[in-house]
Amino acid sequence: MDKQSYLPVQPGVGMEDNFLSLDDILLSHQRLPIRTECVFPRLGFLEKSTDTQDIPLGTKMELPLWLSKGLYERKRKVLSVELPKMYREGWRTVFTADPNVVDLHKMGPYYYGLGSQMLHFDSPENPDIAQTLLQTFIGRFRRTMDSSQNAYNEDTSALVERLDCLEKALFRSGQSGLNGFQSWEKGQASQLTASNLVLNYRKRKITDLQP
Amino acid sequence: MDPSEVEFLAEKEVVKIIPNFSLDKVYLIGGDLGPFNPGLPVDVPVWLALNLKQRQKCRIVPPDWMDVEKLEEMRELERKENTFTPVPSPYYMELTKLLLNHASDNIPKADEIRTLVKDIWDTRIAKLRLSADSFITQQEAHAKLDNLTLMEINTIRTFLLDSLNCMYKLRSNLQPGSSKGQFTDY
Repeated sequence: MDKQSYLPVQPGVGMEDNFLSLDDILLSHQRLPIRTECVFPRLGFLEKSTDTQDIPLGTKMELPLWLSKGLYERKRKVLSVELPKMYREGWRTVFTADPNVVDLHKMGPYYYGLGSQMLHFDSPENPDIAQTLLQTFIGRFRRTMDSSQNAYNEDTSALVERLDCLEKALFRSGQSGLNGFQSWEKGQASQLTASNLVLNYRKRKITDLQP
Repeated sequence: MDPSEVEFLAEKEVVKIIPNFSLDKVYLIGGDLGPFNPGLPVDVPVWLALNLKQRQKCRIVPPDWMDVEKLEEMRELERKENTFTPVPSPYYMELTKLLLNHASDNIPKADEIRTLVKDIWDTRIAKLRLSADSFITQQEAHAKLDNLTLMEINTIRTFLLDSLNCMYKLRSNLQPGSSKGQFTDY
């Protein structure tokens, strides 16, 4: 049994993100292509490609999700966010055709999380994006379930490499169920073992810490 | 829930033993046991039966369903039906493992029984996975878990609950504004 010594905060998945979830923090650093809708005075030094003092209207650049979310306003247009390519019409057709062939880790790795966050920005395509996210999850569910419930005592890296971060977490919970059952069946569950915390515990020496 | 906890619950099931010692009635919180007389069958919980067996103080009488013919019949029925068939005991898997591991000398054809029960288990788990998949694809809201045992539910519980959670959140994306105003506090 692989018991974790601490309980990580789960990602929020939907439109709300969890402040303390490490996955959601990493997710908020994903870059989004944006276009400025007004002049950003005296911020030209941020944009390395030009020497102007201001960032002019209509500049295209990439900003992290957290900044785009903060700057985005419905009433006063500061910037407009363009959809990353995997949420556009073309890729959506691919996902609807067969969600199993897509390498979501390469696409994402936070495909579902980022997709849900994209719904914060007004776009006529929003309902379609939400629908595609749901259908992709449903379409890939069977494979995630079967691989997580059948891979016992083998190298799972080939199975998880194409999974999104969310699916990886699901895969792990499926594996813990399987491993728990198998170790019980083999009679390992009744043996007492030392806690991981004790095994990994090392006393730090002051001489190691001081340079 | 850990499988060993499920096993613990299974140890409360009653099994028949034939003791080879004599003892008056024992009064326990869970109920009265005995009296024990050599050669006279008596009903005791599995934990006591195993303990007595380990000290070679009794012979365990296997439950009625732990019989090759009955199990073969069950296996065929389980394979034929699309739904889950009723199981002989809510703890059939745990009892088979406990009794066969500790008292295989009292159970005729122990190896065959072990294989049969494992076959039944595998068929049922495959069905469980199939129904979980159709549950997700059809986006159902509820399901009846008739004839499923605790151990079977337990193997898939975390995975299914986590995926349903994700699916719920992805579904609530479809109605904008529905997830507003609710946030979790840590």
